Amino acid sequence: MNHVLNIGLYLHIPFCFKKCIYCDFFSIATSDEQLKKRYISAIIKEMELHGKKNQEVELTSIYLGGGTPTALSGLQLQEILRACFLKFPIDEMAEITVEANPGTIDLGKCKLLFQAGANRLSLGVQSFDDEMLRKLGRIHTKEDSLAAYHSAREAGFKNINIDIMFGLPGQSKIGFKETLTEVIQLKPEHISLYALSLEPETPLGHLVAAGKIKLPSDDFTNKLFLEAITLLGERNYEHYEISNFALPGKRSIHNQLYWNCQPYLGLGAGATSFMSNKRYRNYQDPELYIELLNFGILPIECQEILSSSEKMSEKIILKLRMMEGLAKAEFRGLFGTPIEHFFGKPIQELKEQGLLAESKTHYYLTKRGISLANNVFLEFLD
Amino acid sequence: MTEITKAANIRNFSIIAHIDHGKSTIADRILELTETISQREIREQVLDDMDLEREKGITIKSKPVRLLYKALNGKQYIFNLIDTPGHVDFSYEVSRSLAACEGALMVVDAAQGVQAQTISNVQMALEHKLSIIPVINKIDLSTADPEKVSKEIKKINGLSESPILMASARDGTGIREVLEAIVKYIPPPDGKLEKPLQALIFDSVYNPYQGSVVYIRIVNGVVKPGSKIQTMSNKNNYEVNEVGIFMPKRKKVEQLSVGEVGYLTAGFKDITLTKVGDTITNSEQPADRQLPGYKKVIPMVFCSFYPVENDDYPDLKYALEKLSLNDSAISYIPENSPALGFGFRCGFLGLLHMEIIQERLEREYQIQLIATTPSVLYRVYLKNKQIIEIDNPSSLPEAALIDYIEEPFIELTLITPSQFLGGIMELLQDRRGVFKNMEYLDKDIARLLYHLPLNEIMLDFYDRIKSISKGYASIDYHIMGYQESALIKVDVLVNQEVVDNLSFITHKDKAYERARKIVDNLKTAIPRQLFEVPIQASVNRKIIARSTVRALKKNVIAKCYGGDISRKRKLLEKQKAGKKRMKRIGKVEIPQEAFMSILKID
Ligand SMILES: Nc1nc2c(ncn2[C@@H]2O[C@H](COP(=O)(O)OP(=O)(O)O)[C@@H](O)[C@H]2O)c(=O)[nH]1
Ligand code: SF4
Repeated sequence: MNHVLNIGLYLHIPFCFKKCIYCDFFSIATSDEQLKKRYISAIIKEMELHGKKNQEVELTSIYLGGGTPTALSGLQLQEILRACFLKFPIDEMAEITVEANPGTIDLGKCKLLFQAGANRLSLGVQSFDDEMLRKLGRIHTKEDSLAAYHSAREAGFKNINIDIMFGLPGQSKIGFKETLTEVIQLKPEHISLYALSLEPETPLGHLVAAGKIKLPSDDFTNKLFLEAITLLGERNYEHYEISNFALPGKRSIHNQLYWNCQPYLGLGAGATSFMSNKRYRNYQDPELYIELLNFGILPIECQEILSSSEKMSEKIILKLRMMEGLAKAEFRGLFGTPIEHFFGKPIQELKEQGLLAESKTHYYLTKRGISLANNVFLEFLD
Repeated sequence: MTEITKAANIRNFSIIAHIDHGKSTIADRILELTETISQREIREQVLDDMDLEREKGITIKSKPVRLLYKALNGKQYIFNLIDTPGHVDFSYEVSRSLAACEGALMVVDAAQGVQAQTISNVQMALEHKLSIIPVINKIDLSTADPEKVSKEIKKINGLSESPILMASARDGTGIREVLEAIVKYIPPPDGKLEKPLQALIFDSVYNPYQGSVVYIRIVNGVVKPGSKIQTMSNKNNYEVNEVGIFMPKRKKVEQLSVGEVGYLTAGFKDITLTKVGDTITNSEQPADRQLPGYKKVIPMVFCSFYPVENDDYPDLKYALEKLSLNDSAISYIPENSPALGFGFRCGFLGLLHMEIIQERLEREYQIQLIATTPSVLYRVYLKNKQIIEIDNPSSLPEAALIDYIEEPFIELTLITPSQFLGGIMELLQDRRGVFKNMEYLDKDIARLLYHLPLNEIMLDFYDRIKSISKGYASIDYHIMGYQESALIKVDVLVNQEVVDNLSFITHKDKAYERARKIVDNLKTAIPRQLFEVPIQASVNRKIIARSTVRALKKNVIAKCYGGDISRKRKLLEKQKAGKKRMKRIGKVEIPQEAFMSILKID
């Protein structure tokens, strides 16, 4: 056998029951069951086309994301996962994650997923404050989240991630800490913690622009974030990426692919793939996506070939997102020259500003640098 | 053309009117009736050439045209219609154009009635002893009230006896009568052919091939190609290359003689050599004196222009050079600001003049500009008895060296429906206005006279008047001269550094309020930096207002997975590009737009 390329597989399910008011991810609110069925056939066709092309790959991870993958039925999800196993060689240790909205999953569905090979569940809990959830347009409650979590455990999932948001409108420090503490008490293997990012073209964006909703100040959300880091650290969660925390040995294999600039194949409407310097993205419109696949055509909308300076910028930025930081030797190995050669001056300035630190082997963000990561990243673009 | 034009058959006149009262439309109708040019040519030639002039409804350059009119008495007349600039900033040019005429049509909108500008134009025309023919235009409008407007006109000093004509330039009603009135009421020119040449320069335009082309009215004598001439203000001598008339395109003729209006070229290298108001005479047999009223125009309003992109500086320089070829009233000297880079300190006749130049730079030359807050020209009397003129607040000497400061004052005429008087007087009071007089033009139309510092109308004055009066009030002013005021300079400091472009001179009673406002506005306009940025306003190094832009503590901690990476990078790249364009005050980075918004603050 010639060398096998290890890659990750991402599958996008662009359906939700209802749009959350802050969401600008690519997903549509629909209950059109026919559309879902046609979509599933299409994504399986896409797997076939790629499976034929990529004989020498082996999947080290599969990630079923959205949207809301669990907007599909348990059997439909099984159908998709089974197809993966049929079309691609899969490492036996592979991490297979399904994203689930707590309002769309029960014990039965958990069992079906587990049987189909999923071994990691990512629960979009966001908050335990029901009032807040309702305001944000989330379709679930705290009770749904707890039930979903326990069902997943009962079905056999030994690796669960919980998503939590902060910087929500009207969120109090106490409320946030309560959510976080209760989540920690559940002992999920992994916690993603991310700030609400205000996108102008969303209902929330319009409400804020019209002054009808106020978001907490940056200083306040920064405090929440810093306290969360401390709290999670005390409970043995390693802060390994800007917005991700894991118990030892439980870092997300799939997500680390992204930050390590490793190859991945993205299937489904709007999904992105990355292979040897090339990034391509599928058409977002599900109808067009389905149509093209019906003709046996890969539904690629655009492709981007990274220039070496873009590659460099992405490498640095993504690596700095990891708390471990950027390994000097790795950079030199990839680009043939030490990083200081390109970015000596900004590195010096960032160090003086207390945003970046240096060890013998690595550059990494300081605590302040984590909060001001964008300011750091900016310096590594040309 | 061999026959010497008989002065008795010449009528030289202008049309004076408030903007939009129908000056251009009446002029068009007159051109049609006199059949000087065809309809199509009218469209092509007569309409204001410059986009900007058309948009703003004003004329910057005088536009003369020569018309032939066969009157009802059977005689043939030559009319010279001199279209004048329509705004107070150009009142000197207007006054020179009027000096070239014997009469004027005063056009008043039958619905709008008399406006401030109408009155000051009439006053100017009367000063030049012109015969004025009031014409009430737009009588076809359903809202027209010619009787009321007639009453208003009769109230204007000097017009109580004038016969008033009624017209509709739209449908042509009354235009014939207007032409007959020109023949009847406007006297022919009264100069002498035998006297030494005296020609008044009432405008000039630059032409790359011929140099400056001067527009003249021959008051006495005659001029032809080959004549040796002299500009009397500076005693420079030239030889005439070409003389001609306006048809309205320039048309060569053999000579121009007493009473005529036309143009002349004589290899004037640039426009500053042929100043509006100067007299041209014969070198060999000069007239014994200059025609009255010559005055050097000096800029009254100053501001700095900086290109948004530093690379545009050479273009800006080129453009200013080009514009000033045709407009001797612009002054510009290079200037360098730590915050804004290289630019020019420019002088203008007034605010509108400034706006026009700014827009022409942006539109015709495609240069994006940052314009600093306009300033007037201050006269500073130092303790050592020296007197200096300051057009840039940042160059004001230390307070300890100053004895006192004078600033230009204006006399402002304002006409408004009386219901808005309260609000308007309050505004004028706030702008340090001194009430001089009020009279009613009609039972509900009042005319106010105020004296106030020119500086007080620099910012947000016209807009305020318009909004208080729902657009009904009209204003006009002229500079009266300099008067002492209790003025102080306020400096603005960002992160302990004085920002030159933000310093301003103001009356001491207003310093605090304005300082407070600017400091607060800066606080919102300056994005948070990685460190805390104090913002202060100071007078003589004493802080009078302060605020702080707190340090940036956090960016959004967003997720970044496969599909986000490209988008994230592009967002950052965009941000980076914005950062590169940022202006710097010391360590503080300020986006272009924020800087512009700061400079717009009053
Ligand atoms: N109804 C009506 N409108 C007119 C008449 N004369 C001019 N106008 C309109 O009034 C506006 C201003 O006229 P214009 O000649 O451009 O005014 P100027 O600014 O004084 O040159 C234009 O829209 C003309 O069409 C008129 O006699 N009757
Ligand atoms: S469930 Fe997720 S993808 Fe769907 S609308 Fe809400 S935030 Fe967006």
